[in-house]
Amino acid sequence: MTQILNTIIMLAVAVSITGLVNRTRAVLSGRKGPRFFQHLHNVRLLLRKGAVYSPVTTALFRAVPSVYLGAAAVAFLFIPVGDLDPVLSFDGDMIAFAYLLALGRAAIILAAMDTGSSFEGMGASREALYGALVEPAMMFFMATLALVFGYTSFADIFSREHSMDIQLTIVMLLAAYIAVKILFVESGRVPVDDPRTHLELTMIHEVMCLDFCGVDLGMIQIAGWLKTAALAVLAADAAAVTFCFRWWVVAPLAVAVAGLAIGIVESSQARNKLSRNTTFILTIAAIAALMFFVGWLLQQNIEIG
Amino acid sequence: MLFIYTLIALAAVAALIFSVPLRAKVWAALGVTSVAAVWCSALAVGVLADGGTLPLWSVETMAFGAETGSMDTLSALFVLIISFTSVSTLLYSKGYVGGYLDSKSPAHVSLHYTALTVMCLAMLAVVLCDGGYTFLFAWEAMTIASFILILFDAQRKEVLRAALTYLILMHVGFAMLLIGFVRLDAACGSASFAAMARCFAEGNPLPLALVFLVGFGMKAGLFPMHVWLPEAHPAAPSHVSAIMSGVMIKTGVYGILRVAAAMPVSAAGETFGIVVLVAGIVTGLWGVILAAIQNDMKRLLAYSSIENVGVIMIGLGVALLGRAAGSQTIAVCGVCGALLHTLNHSLFKSLLFFGAGNVYSRLHTTSLDALGGVARYMPVTAILFAVATAAICALPPLNGFVSEFLIYLGILDGITSQTGVMLSAAAMIGLAMIGGMVVLAFTKLYGVVFLGSPRSHEVAEHAAEVDSLRIAAMAMPAAGILCAGLFPQGAFALVSRAAGFFFGGRVPFAPAVAAAAGRVCLTAWVLVAVVLLLVWLRRRALRGRTVASGETWGCGFTAANIRMQYTGESFSEGLESVAESLTQNKVEGRAVDKSEIFPTEHSFKVRHKDRVDSLMAEWWMASLRIINARIMRLRTGKINHYVAFALLLLVLVFALSVLNLL
Repeated sequence: MTQILNTIIMLAVAVSITGLVNRTRAVLSGRKGPRFFQHLHNVRLLLRKGAVYSPVTTALFRAVPSVYLGAAAVAFLFIPVGDLDPVLSFDGDMIAFAYLLALGRAAIILAAMDTGSSFEGMGASREALYGALVEPAMMFFMATLALVFGYTSFADIFSREHSMDIQLTIVMLLAAYIAVKILFVESGRVPVDDPRTHLELTMIHEVMCLDFCGVDLGMIQIAGWLKTAALAVLAADAAAVTFCFRWWVVAPLAVAVAGLAIGIVESSQARNKLSRNTTFILTIAAIAALMFFVGWLLQQNIEIG
Repeated sequence: MLFIYTLIALAAVAALIFSVPLRAKVWAALGVTSVAAVWCSALAVGVLADGGTLPLWSVETMAFGAETGSMDTLSALFVLIISFTSVSTLLYSKGYVGGYLDSKSPAHVSLHYTALTVMCLAMLAVVLCDGGYTFLFAWEAMTIASFILILFDAQRKEVLRAALTYLILMHVGFAMLLIGFVRLDAACGSASFAAMARCFAEGNPLPLALVFLVGFGMKAGLFPMHVWLPEAHPAAPSHVSAIMSGVMIKTGVYGILRVAAAMPVSAAGETFGIVVLVAGIVTGLWGVILAAIQNDMKRLLAYSSIENVGVIMIGLGVALLGRAAGSQTIAVCGVCGALLHTLNHSLFKSLLFFGAGNVYSRLHTTSLDALGGVARYMPVTAILFAVATAAICALPPLNGFVSEFLIYLGILDGITSQTGVMLSAAAMIGLAMIGGMVVLAFTKLYGVVFLGSPRSHEVAEHAAEVDSLRIAAMAMPAAGILCAGLFPQGAFALVSRAAGFFFGGRVPFAPAVAAAAGRVCLTAWVLVAVVLLLVWLRRRALRGRTVASGETWGCGFTAANIRMQYTGESFSEGLESVAESLTQNKVEGRAVDKSEIFPTEHSFKVRHKDRVDSLMAEWWMASLRIINARIMRLRTGKINHYVAFALLLLVLVFALSVLNLL
C-alpha cells in the first residue's frame, strides 16, 4: 500500500518540479510565463504525433527512447519518499541505481552518435565525459549514506527510524547539497548545461535529442523528469532525515529544493564556459570526498566517546 | 617420462596438422582442442560438483624431484573458461584465416594452427600443474606458442617489433617466476603452490609474494608492466587477440589468485591485500583512461583488458583485506566478484575482438577515423558487438554488472561494518571512476565504428556480413553473456564453489552471495520487462501515424557532409585535456593551420603514446647509449693505441695465469 502511495507521490514530485522551475524563472524574470502544468500539455501533444527519422539512423536509434525511459523508470522505483517504502528495494540497490543511470546515459549517447551529426557528436562526447566525472561524487554520496546509517539500500537508510547523532546533521546537509549539485549535472541544468540556449554548439543534453521527435521526444522528456525527481527526492531525504522524517515533509521539500534551486540558478547565473565544467564537476567530487571524511571522523569520535 | 610423452604428443599434433590438406587444418586443430577441452571440462564439472581435489598426475622429474598435477575448484573454473574460449576461437579462426589461405604458404598456416592448439593445451596444463617446474614448462610453452601466433603477419615491421617486445617482457616475467620457484624450492624443499602456503606461514612472505606478483603481473598486464598489451594486440590476428586477451592474460590472474590464497591471514596478508588493491585501482584507471583516448579499435580493446584486470585485482584486494579483517562476507563477495569478472571478461572481450576481426577482415583497417556506419552493412556483427559493449560497460541486465555489483557489495559491507573504511572508499571510488570512463571509451568505440555515416568510401564498398561460422563462433560468448546476466544464480553458484580455494576448503554457498544473485536477477528482469513494455507501447502508439524519413538536422547548415561528423579523436578531446599528463603525443605530418584560408592537402596523424611505455623504452635506450659512448672512447683510430690495448690484454692474461686465477 505504501509502495503505491510512494510511486504516486514520486510521480507528483516529478511533474511538479518542472512546473515550479518554469514558474520560478517566469516570476524572477518578470514574465507571465507558462502555466504550472504547461509541460504536461506539451508532452501530451508530442505523444500524439508521428515521427521523422533520418536515413542515417539504424534500429538502435528507435530502440533508445524505450531503453532510456525504462532505465530511468526502474531507477525511479528504488527511491523512497520519506518513511514510505519504494517498490523495489534490496541491499546494494544504490549501486543498481547508479548503473541504471549509466545505462540511460550510454543509450542516449549512442543514439546521438547514430545520427551522424557533428553537433550531436559534440553533445555526446560532453555528456560522456561529464557523466564519467560525476560518478565519484555520486559514489561518495552513497558511501557516506552507507557509512552513517550502516545500510546499503535507500529504503533501509531512509524508511527506518534512526537515532541519529546530532553531530551528523552537518554531514547530511552536505549530502543534500551534493545531491542537488549532482542533479544539476545529471539533468543538464545551468551552470553545467543550458537547456534553453539557442545555439546547438554550446548545448550538451538538448543537442543529443535534436533528431528525436514526437513520441520519442516525449519519452525522453518524461525520463528526464523521472531522473530529476529521483535525485531531488534523494536530496530531500538526506536533508529531512535530520529533523522530521515523514513523507509529507519530504515530498514538498523535494519539489521546493529542486524547483527553486534550478529556477533561481537559471535566472541568476550564466552557464559555465565548457572548459570550466570539468573543474566544476571535480569540485563536487572533492566536496563529496570531504563530506565522507568528515562523516567518518565524526563517527569515530562518537564511538570512542 | 611425462616430459617425453608430452613432447611426443605435441609432435604428433604438429605432424597431424602439417599433414592434412590446407582447408582441413583448422578442423584438425579444432578436433584436437575440442577433445582436450571436452575431456577437461567434464573433469572440471565433476570437481566443481563435489568440491574436492582431483589428483591427475605425479611425475618424477630428473632434476627437480617429484611434481604433481591436480584439479581443484579454482583450476576447474579456469579449465571451463579456457576450454570455452579455445573452442570458440578455433571456430572463428576458420573464416578469419580463410582470407589468408591464398597469400600464406601451407607451412605457415600449419605452424599457426599448431601454435594455436599448443597454446590452448598449454593453458590447460598451466592451470592443472601444482606449481614447480612442470608449471614453468607449461608457462613457457604458452609464451612461445603465443609469440608464434602474434607473428602471423610477420612481414609487417610493427608486428615483428611488437612480438619481440612481447617475448622480451614475458621472459623478464619468466625470470621472476623462476627466481620465485627456486627460492621456494630452496626454502621448503618443494616448488609447488601447496609448499608456498607452508613457506609463507613460516617467515615473512612479502618479498617472495611480490616477486611472484611481478612475474604473474607481467602476463596479466598489471601497471606498469602492461606495455606489451597495446602493442601485441593490434599486431596479432583478431582471433589470437581474443584468446590472448580473453584467457591467456587470465593465467597471470590465476597465478596471483594462487599466491593470494597462499598468503597467511596476518598483517602480511593485509599488506599484500593493500598492494593488490592499489595495483588494481591504478591499473584499472590507467587502462581505462588510455583506452578512452585511443583511435584504434584493437588498441582500445587492449587497454580495456588492462582495465578489466584492474577490476579483478580490486575484487581480490577487497577479498584479501576482508579475510585479514576476519569478515567472511567481504572476503566471499570480493573473491567471487573477482572470479566472476574473470569469467565475464573472457566472454565479452573475446566477442569484442571477434567483432573487430570481422571489421578488419572486410575493411583492412581498425583505425576509428576510417570507419563509421558499419552497422548498416554488418548488422549481425553490430548487434553482437552491442551486446558485448553493454556488458563491458557493466550495464544491467548483462553479466558485467553482475560481477561488479558483487565487488561493490563487498566494498559496501566494508564501509557499513566499519572494517577498513578508507580503503573501501578508495576501492569504491576507483571502481566508480573506472565504470564512468568505460562508458565513455565504449560509446566512443561503438558510436564511431558502427553508427553514423561511413568516414571512408571503402566502408560502403567493401563492408559486408561475414560467414555464418564466424557468427556462430561469436554467438557462443554472446549466449554466455546473456545467461550470466539474466540468470545470475547459475554463475554465482559456479564461482562460489570455485572460491573454496581461497578459504582452504569448501565454502558453503555464502548467504550474502546467494541473496545478491536474487537481487541482480530481480533488477535485470524488471528492467527487461519495463523496456519491453515501453517498446510495445511505442510501437502501438506509432501504428497508423505517419513515419517519414528526413535528413539529419544540420542545425540550420544545409551543406553538412560526412566529413564533419565527430571523429574518435574529437570525441575524447575533453578527456585528453584532463588526462594530458598520462600520454605523449606522437605527431606525424602537419595539421591545418588556422591562418590557411584555402587549405591545401595535408597529412596528419597523431598517436597517443603511453607515458609508461616511453619511460621504460627511453630509459633503457638512454642507458645503452651512455654505455656505448663510454666504450666508444676507446676507439681512437690510432694504431699505436690498439697495439697498446693488445699488449695490455697479454699482460693481463699473463698476470692472471701467474696468480693462478684463470
